[in-house]
Amino acid sequence: MSTVARRRLGNAGAGLVGILILIWTLLPLYNMVLVAVQQKEDVFATNVFPPHPTLESFYAVFEESYWYLANFWRQMGNSAYIGVAVALLTLAIGSMTSYAITRLRIRLGWLLTNAALVTYVIPMSFLAIPFYRIMKTYGLADNAWAVILVEVTFATPYAIFIFSQYSASIPHELDEAARIDGASPLQIFFRIYLPLMAPALVAIGTYALLLAWNEYLYAFLLLSSDSTITVPVALGKFLNSDEAPWNYLMAASIVYALPPLVIYYIFRRYMSAGLTMGGVKG
Amino acid sequence: MRSWHRRGLVAAFGLGAAMALTLPIPARAAGKTVVIWWNQGFYQAEDQAMKDSVAAWEKATGNKVELTFSNGSDLPAKVVAALTTGEVPDIVYADTGDFLLIPQNAWNDKLVDVSDVVDSQKSEYNKAALEAGRYYDNVTHKRSYYGVPLKEQALHVEVWKPLVEEAGYKMSDIPKQWDKYFDFFEDVQKKLRAKGKRIYGLGYSLATKDSDSTYLFNQFLVAYGGGGIVTPDGKLHADDPKVREAAIKALDKLTKPYKEGFVPPGAINWGDPDNNNAFYARQIVMTPNATISIAVAQMEKTEQYMHEIVTQQLPLGPDGKPVTSLVAVKQAFIPKGAKNVEGAKDFLKSFIQPKNLDNYLKQARGRWTPVMPSIVKSDPYWLDPSDPHRHVSVSQQIGDNVPIMPWFMSFNPAYADVNAEQIWGKAEANVMTGGMTPEKAVDIALGQIKADFAKYPVPTE
Amino acid sequence: MASTSTLTTATGAKRARPRRASWYAGLLGSDFAWGLAFVLPYLAVFLLFVIYPVAYGLWLGSDPRSYTKLFADPIYIETIINTVIYLAVGVNVKLFLALLLSGFFMRPGWWTKTLLLVFILPWAVPAIPTFISWHWMLNGQWGLINNAIWDLFQTDGPPWLDVAHLAMGSVIVAYIWKWLPFWTVIFLAGRMAIPKELYEAGAVDGATGFRRFVHITFPLMANLYIVCTLLSTIWTLGDFNTVHFVSGGGPALQTHVLATLGIRDAFELADPNMGMAAVITALPLLIPLVIFLMRKLSTSEVHL
Repeated sequence: MSTVARRRLGNAGAGLVGILILIWTLLPLYNMVLVAVQQKEDVFATNVFPPHPTLESFYAVFEESYWYLANFWRQMGNSAYIGVAVALLTLAIGSMTSYAITRLRIRLGWLLTNAALVTYVIPMSFLAIPFYRIMKTYGLADNAWAVILVEVTFATPYAIFIFSQYSASIPHELDEAARIDGASPLQIFFRIYLPLMAPALVAIGTYALLLAWNEYLYAFLLLSSDSTITVPVALGKFLNSDEAPWNYLMAASIVYALPPLVIYYIFRRYMSAGLTMGGVKG
Repeated sequence: MRSWHRRGLVAAFGLGAAMALTLPIPARAAGKTVVIWWNQGFYQAEDQAMKDSVAAWEKATGNKVELTFSNGSDLPAKVVAALTTGEVPDIVYADTGDFLLIPQNAWNDKLVDVSDVVDSQKSEYNKAALEAGRYYDNVTHKRSYYGVPLKEQALHVEVWKPLVEEAGYKMSDIPKQWDKYFDFFEDVQKKLRAKGKRIYGLGYSLATKDSDSTYLFNQFLVAYGGGGIVTPDGKLHADDPKVREAAIKALDKLTKPYKEGFVPPGAINWGDPDNNNAFYARQIVMTPNATISIAVAQMEKTEQYMHEIVTQQLPLGPDGKPVTSLVAVKQAFIPKGAKNVEGAKDFLKSFIQPKNLDNYLKQARGRWTPVMPSIVKSDPYWLDPSDPHRHVSVSQQIGDNVPIMPWFMSFNPAYADVNAEQIWGKAEANVMTGGMTPEKAVDIALGQIKADFAKYPVPTE
Repeated sequence: MASTSTLTTATGAKRARPRRASWYAGLLGSDFAWGLAFVLPYLAVFLLFVIYPVAYGLWLGSDPRSYTKLFADPIYIETIINTVIYLAVGVNVKLFLALLLSGFFMRPGWWTKTLLLVFILPWAVPAIPTFISWHWMLNGQWGLINNAIWDLFQTDGPPWLDVAHLAMGSVIVAYIWKWLPFWTVIFLAGRMAIPKELYEAGAVDGATGFRRFVHITFPLMANLYIVCTLLSTIWTLGDFNTVHFVSGGGPALQTHVLATLGIRDAFELADPNMGMAAVITALPLLIPLVIFLMRKLSTSEVHL
C-alpha cells in the first residue's frame, strides 16, 4: 500500500478511535445532564432525549428551595474548605518530608519512605471504624478537621513519592552553592526547592484536592450535622427519598462537579509534567 | 479472648495522642442537653413534626435538645459506629431499629432499661406494641422493655386505578382471596401489554436490601400459615412441617411471577424507595408497601391522591379468612453510656403522651399508624372516611377487625440476624436466578436460620 | 552556619566527594536538627493517624470468632472471587488500554489535544455523581442504555445490574471508565520522556509502527508499567465507591468485594469486628504487593 493510502487509513482509524473515545467518555456524563434537565415526572419515563428540557432543577439548587438542598451552599463551602485544607497540608507536609529525605538526606530517609508506603498496606476504606473512634478520642467529632486529617494521611505518601522523584531532577549543586553563600536549610527550602518544584506542587495539590472532593465514606461517618457535612453526603441523603426528585440530585451533582473541573483545566499542563517527571530508566 | 496487653497498648496510644495534641475535648453542658439522633422522614412534614415536638418540649421544660437527622440507610451505620466506640447519643430512633439494632443490643446489655417510660402509658398501648418493646437481655437474663413504642406499620397494597381500568376491569373486579388477588394483576399486565404498554403487573420487592423485601416475604409466610416459625417464648420451629410448607408456598408465589416476567427484573435490586419510584413511573400496576407513604408523598396532587392511587388492605388468606397482619412497631431506645439518661427518659415520657404522639403522627401526614387505640378512637382524623388511604391502613393495624402480631425479633434476636443476613432474600434469588427449586431453597434457608438461632439460646421462662 | 573550609567549586568528582563528606559531617549537628524539624510534621501524622488506627483496626479484627463467622458466611467465597476478578480484569484491562491510548494521544494535531481534554473528564468529575449516573444509566427498565435499545430495536435490553455476572462486568466497566484517563496521562508522560533520538535511530533501522512499539517503547515503559500495575492493584483493593454506588453489591449480594463486604458486615450486620476481619483477610495479598512495590521503587529508579 502506498504511504499516502496508508496514512489515510491510519487517519481514518484514528478518527474512528476518536469518536469511540468521545462516546465512551461522554455517555454517563450525558446521562447526568439528561436527568438534570428533565422534569421530575419524566425522569423515569424511558427517554433518550429530554422531552421538555428545563433548567428548573438548577434554579432549585441555586436557591436552595428544596428541603434536601436547604444547606447546599453551606455544604459546598464545607467541601471547598476541606479540599483546600487537604491540598495545602498535603503540599506542606509532603514537600517538607521529601526535602528532608532527598535534599538534606537524613540518615533514615529510606525508612520514612517505606513507612509511608505502609499507609497503603491497609487501604483507606478499611480503616473507617478505627478512624471514627480515633477522631472522637481527639475531640474532632463532627468537625471538618477529622476528614481533613484523614485525607492528608492518605494523600501524603503519594506526595512524598512524587516530590522525591521530581527532586532528582534538581541538581544538588544548587543546594551546595546556596550553602556556601550562607543559606540555612530553611532558606534553601523556600528560595530554591519550592520554586523549582512548582510543577510537582501544582500537580499534587490538584491531586489532593480531587481526592478530598471525591470522598464519601469518611465524610459520611465522621460528619453528622447538616451544617458540617459535605455535598456527597448530602447527595447520598437523596437516594433514600420516597419522592425522588432525582433531577435535583443530578443538578446539584453537576454544580458540585464544576470546581474540580475548572481547577483541573487551569492546571492541566502541570499535571503530566509534575506527576511523571523524569524518565523511565532501568 | 482479648488480652489486656493489647487493650493497654491501645489505651496508651490513645492517651498519649490525646495529651500530645492537647486539643480541647468539648465539655458537655452538664446534664441539661439531650442529644437525639432521629431517622430522617420520607418527606419534609415528618421532619418538621419532630422539630416541632422537640421545640415544644424545650419550651415546656427549659432543657436543650441537640437534634440530628440521618437518612434511613445511614443512621444504623452511625449508630453501630457509636455503639462500638461508646460515644453514644441520648436517644436514638431509627426506622429499622426494631429490625436489628434494638434486639441485638438488648441481648448484649447495651441498652438502658426503659420500663419506667413504657409503664407511664402502659394502659394506652395495644398488645402487639407491648410485646414488641420487650426484649431478652442475655447478660441480666431477663426480659424487659428496651424500646419505647412510638408508631407502627404493616403491609398493604397500593394500586393504580386508571391502569386497572385501562385493562378493561373495574376495581370491584379484583378478587378477595389471596392467590386469586395476586394472579389478577398478572392478567392486567397481559391486557396492558397487548395495548403496547411496557408495564409489569406485580411490583414485588425481591431484593437482599433494606426492609421492603423482608416485609413482603414474611407477611406471605404468615399468610400461608407459617406464623408459628418463632413463638413468643423465643423458640424456633423450623422443623415444623406446617412452617416449611408455608415457606415453600410463599417462596413459590413470589418468585414464579418474576421468572415468568410479571415482575420487573430490576426488583431483585430494589431498595426501599425503588418500588415507590417504579410505582410513580407507572411501570408497575400495584406494589405492596409497608406504609402509605406512596400515596401521602403525592398529597398535593389531589387527583392522584384522591382518585387514582388506591390503598388496599391485604386480601383474605388462601383459606378465605382474614390474614394476621404482621405489625412492625417502631421504637426509640436509649443506649448505655448516654450522658443524659434522665433527660432522655423525661423527653420520651412527654413524647408518648397520647396527645403529643397524636400531634406528631398527624403532622407526619399519617404515614405511620398510632400504637394507642385511644388515639384512633378519640381523634376522628385516623378513621376519617373522606381520606381514601389512611383509614384503610389504620383499620388493618389497630387489631379490631384483623388480627395483628408483632415481628419475631422481639421474641428472639436471632431473627434479627436472619433479616440482616437477608436469608429469605437469598432464598428468593436462588429460585429466581439460581435455578433452585423452592423446596431446596427453603431447606437451605431453614438450615441457615437454625444456625443463627443456635447462637442465641433463650431459656424458657 | 556556613562552612569555613575553603571549598573550591567542585570540579572533579573525586576531589569533591571527600570534601562534601567532611563538610556534612561538620554540620551534622545542626543539619540533623533541621532534618528532624522538616520530618516532624509527617512523623506526627504517621503516629497519630496511621499507627494508632492500624493498631486499633488489627485489635478489632483479632478475635478468632470473627473469622469463624466470616468463613461461614455463604457470600464470603463469592466475595473473594469477585475481588480477584475485579483486580485481575479491571486493573490489567485498564492499564493495557491506558498504554495503547497513550500512544494514540501522542499523535500531533489540535484535535488530539482537544480530545484529551474531553477524555480527562471522568477523572476530574467527582466519583459519587458519576457512579450514581452509571447506576441509573444501566437500570434495566428506565436506564438510558436500555431506553436506546428499546427505541432502536423494540426489545428489552440486557438486565445489566440484575444478573450477577453482568453486574460485575458493569462495575468493572464503570471503574475503567473512571480511572483510565489518570493512568493514560501517566503513561503519556512516560512516553514523552523517551528521547526522540531513539525513535529516529530506530527508524533508520526500519523500526516503524508495531516493531517500534515492541523494540523501543515497550522495553523503556516496562518498569513504569509494572509499578503502575502494583500501585493500581493496591488502590483498587480498597475501592469502595465503585461497587457501592454502581451495583450496591447486588443482585442478591453477589457482587460484593472485600472492601464493601467489610462495611456491610460492620454496619448492616452490626458486627464491626467481623468487618475488620473481612478486610484483614486481604492482607496476604496486600503485603506482598506492597513489599514488591517498595523494592521496585527503590532499586529500579522508576519515576512515577
